[in-house]
Amino acid sequence: MAITRWTPRSMLGFRNEFDRLFDSFFNPTEEEETFLAAFSPAVDIEERDKDYLVTAELPGIKKEDIKMNIKDNLLTISGEKKQEKKTDKNNYHRTERIYGSFQRSFRLPDYADQENISAEFKDGVLNVTIPKLKESISKSIDIKVK
Amino acid sequence: MTITRWIPRSSLLGFQNEVDRLMDSVFGTEPETADECLICPSVDIEEYDKYFLLHFELPGINKKDVTINVKDNILTVEGEKKAGKKSDSDKYHLSERVYGKFRRNFRLPETVDTENIEAEYVDGVLNLTVPKLAEALPKQIEIKVK
Repeated sequence: MAITRWTPRSMLGFRNEFDRLFDSFFNPTEEEETFLAAFSPAVDIEERDKDYLVTAELPGIKKEDIKMNIKDNLLTISGEKKQEKKTDKNNYHRTERIYGSFQRSFRLPDYADQENISAEFKDGVLNVTIPKLKESISKSIDIKVK
Repeated sequence: MTITRWIPRSSLLGFQNEVDRLMDSVFGTEPETADECLICPSVDIEEYDKYFLLHFELPGINKKDVTINVKDNILTVEGEKKAGKKSDSDKYHLSERVYGKFRRNFRLPETVDTENIEAEYVDGVLNLTVPKLAEALPKQIEIKVK
């Protein structure tokens, strides 16, 4: 058992409070708060013309240790960051990295095309592309002036 | 310019540096100023019989944007984490990831072979292997019974 860095968890609570105030799409949900996660990966959610791009920073995690699922319009990214140990005989001089389980959930907008979500994991970043349903993509209509 | 998450790094790091100074330990950090370290990567340092292993969490970084050098026995890992290309029409629903410059310094023990440091970047983690000098390795002396 190595001594690990203490993270000021209270910040998370504050963030959730803040999110609730705004009540926006992709709002983290109650489920996230009740889950005992070791850490919370940093996430960016970008909206583009035809899709949403969710990127989550997961350095040092194996692809097979990441789980993603959608239930009731709720996209959940979870998994476990395992500490690699070559031998039991090692000696830690510094342990700032945090290991353990993580989970983040996001409520998808109604016009997300759930059937065609794709994900790739590259350089410790999980990139999830959520296409918008065709009907919702804004169309430009030319109105002829008579 | 997007609004980004505030991380209480500076106060914690400052404290950590103070502690390091007090301990004056091997692999103690040199003080990092706030402007040099917008995103301070978390680091684990392990010691094995023949080498030290340093792991830097650097998710989503381009290998060519990282430089590693050793001067006066101070190991410096620095670089820049660049945000991906973004069009002006993109809208952020969540922006927690932090981009910018980083730099971390560590004082190496006298007993390492600075000529043969190896680096690899896997799954968002930069792993440095710092070998110990042959003289510093534990020697086993066999006693011959005559």
